[in-house]
Amino acid sequence: MKTLIKLKNVSKHYGNFKALSDINLEVAEGEVLSVIGPSGSGKSTMIRCINLLEQYDSTGTISVDNKLVKKGKTLREVRANVGMVFQNFNLFPHMTILNNVKLAPMRTNGLSEADATKRAHTLLREVGILDQIDKYPDQLSGGQQQRVAIARALAMEPKALLFDEPTSALDPEMVGEVLNVIKNLADRGVTMIVVTHEMGFARQVSDRVVFMDSGQIVESGTPSEIFDSAQEIRTRDFLKSVLSH
Amino acid sequence: MKHLHQIPILIVTIIAALFPSALTYGQRSDDQVISVGANIGNVPWEFQDTQGRFVGFEIDLINEIARLMGKEVQIVNIPFNGLFSAVQSSRIDVAISSITITEERLKSVSFAQPYYDSDQSLTVRSDSPVKTVNDLRGKIVAVDTGSTGDIWTSENQQKYAYKEIRRYEGLAPAVLDLEIGRTDGYISDIPAMQYYTKDKTGLVVIERIKTGGSYSMMFAKNSALADEVNEVITSLKRAGYINDLHEKWFGTRAEATTSTAKITAMPGATDGMELNFVDTFLNEEVFLTTLPMLLLGLKTTIQLGFISIVFGLLVGLALALLRLYAHKTIGFVAKAYIDIFRSIPLLVLLIVIFYALPFVGINLSPFNAAATALIIVSGAYTAEIFRAGIEAIPRGQFEASQALGLGYRHMMIEVVLPQAVKIVIPPLTNNSINVIKDTALASVVAMPDLLKQATQAQAIAANPTPLIAAAGIYLALLLPLVLYVSHLEKKYKSREYA
Repeated sequence: MKTLIKLKNVSKHYGNFKALSDINLEVAEGEVLSVIGPSGSGKSTMIRCINLLEQYDSTGTISVDNKLVKKGKTLREVRANVGMVFQNFNLFPHMTILNNVKLAPMRTNGLSEADATKRAHTLLREVGILDQIDKYPDQLSGGQQQRVAIARALAMEPKALLFDEPTSALDPEMVGEVLNVIKNLADRGVTMIVVTHEMGFARQVSDRVVFMDSGQIVESGTPSEIFDSAQEIRTRDFLKSVLSH
Repeated sequence: MKHLHQIPILIVTIIAALFPSALTYGQRSDDQVISVGANIGNVPWEFQDTQGRFVGFEIDLINEIARLMGKEVQIVNIPFNGLFSAVQSSRIDVAISSITITEERLKSVSFAQPYYDSDQSLTVRSDSPVKTVNDLRGKIVAVDTGSTGDIWTSENQQKYAYKEIRRYEGLAPAVLDLEIGRTDGYISDIPAMQYYTKDKTGLVVIERIKTGGSYSMMFAKNSALADEVNEVITSLKRAGYINDLHEKWFGTRAEATTSTAKITAMPGATDGMELNFVDTFLNEEVFLTTLPMLLLGLKTTIQLGFISIVFGLLVGLALALLRLYAHKTIGFVAKAYIDIFRSIPLLVLLIVIFYALPFVGINLSPFNAAATALIIVSGAYTAEIFRAGIEAIPRGQFEASQALGLGYRHMMIEVVLPQAVKIVIPPLTNNSINVIKDTALASVVAMPDLLKQATQAQAIAANPTPLIAAAGIYLALLLPLVLYVSHLEKKYKSREYA
């Protein structure tokens, strides 16, 4: 299968602190990858490097669909190809739900107003928010807002989606509705990297699970390889501590 | 810096209007001291010599009168058009400043008998093509706000068809602008200008304009002091003292038929009506006759305020974006601009722009000078407001825009600025209120704004009603904005975004 996202020797320093250490990772088209690990292990930093919300050190390279991710003219195209869903949704509070979803396709893809509206309707129906499209974000629950954020990311028709702890800011009763939407996307074959603390989800939905600690990828494998027979002691310790609750 | 007194005078007038009982009318508590208001710098009547002592024809006269009455003189420096409300509010007991007795003024104040017969004069640059008043067609004429020269020039505006009348707060700024060519002629009292130009080569008095005015000392309406002083003047005339002063200050003796030599009746003495509070501060007749002047001033104030607010916003937005997002060097320059112009008093900047820039070849009209100063300063303040507004937008909004592939321009215009605008509307409205209030400072550079028109109107009518009316107009203009800000602040407080 074709490689869509490729990280090669990627490191990231904040001053003297090394947040990422020599990361090598390839994500194939259609693959669903979960990234797990303790807080501060570099999971979010890694996926934020993929669309250059964080600048990685010049010693490594990242490419998306064979295009190098770097500052300059190509960056907007790369970003349009990689949708991102944030922990805090980051919807635009001064726009209606519909306009949140319509904005980028019109401004970036040059879609007409009518086409953008049509696409937004389709996506919002898919995530189950169609009846709320004229409301403003602060009139929706957290779970609903995150579903809108997913629709907004999909509106660019990206080649891959990055999820940065998409359920961490939600009340427990809303986690399920968001995970269901992500699961449906996975079933449809959308390429995804999901940074998550939801172990059940990671196990059930992922093709591959990556465990990170201290800015490094400790090990990766199929869900059963990681959850049932991890090779590394750090992985086992981590899983033991999160699954015991 | 004399014009600075205008605003305190307005305030004092309003306080006097609101709390009449706070001021004792007619008699001051300390009756051993006569408090004398004078427009210092009005040569040769009252000015300061090289040692800083107050000297002049009228200073000599009031000192002699006080000596004969067994009292002491205390001089208070007040610009000409502030003298009227100062006597009416009893801040001073008597005003001197070559004040012409007019019918209009007699309705609101009292005068002692006159002691000098004057005319107006036209002063021009020595090399000027203007040789008579008739040559003033299409020219810019300078006058002192509310003076006899102002009254005569305004009344004859149609006849001589000048391009513009520019009103100054006294001789010094008026002469400065005449010398650098901003104005083409200066119409004011002939004795002062003859005295002033006698050892100056650049300026020349070319014509006597017969207005037949006479000068005297001015008092609150029907003040007892006016009668006492009038009697002393009678005895001084009899002794030839006033004509001695004439000789001392003008080098010749006045003719026996002039009021300097001849004893006359006290002007308007038959009018015994006492002016009450309403007649003085809320005079309907004065209000109605001066209202058109005030509305003209209001128009200028609104025009100046509007232009300054709009361009100040654009300058401020540009500065804020440069400071936040441009290259470090440019950002530093923007920050320096913002810090410097928030530190300079607007009045100082205005005076520099209007009176100093002509020496480097930049000669702005009063309106443009005032607008420039207001825009420069307002821009610095709005830049800080915009910066705070943009910085209050959560980082996630920028990241979400970037992740969607929006370019910088779309991110700012569609996402960041619309949210920042909501945050900055209350402080920006506050700033706009300040800009409109600050337009009043423009009267310093001979701008006919609302305050300037009001001071001129009160000097002509010798009644503070126009100042009260101006205060009312400012209030009507700004109070709704103030209430609007409170409303917005309440509204945004109750609806905060996650």
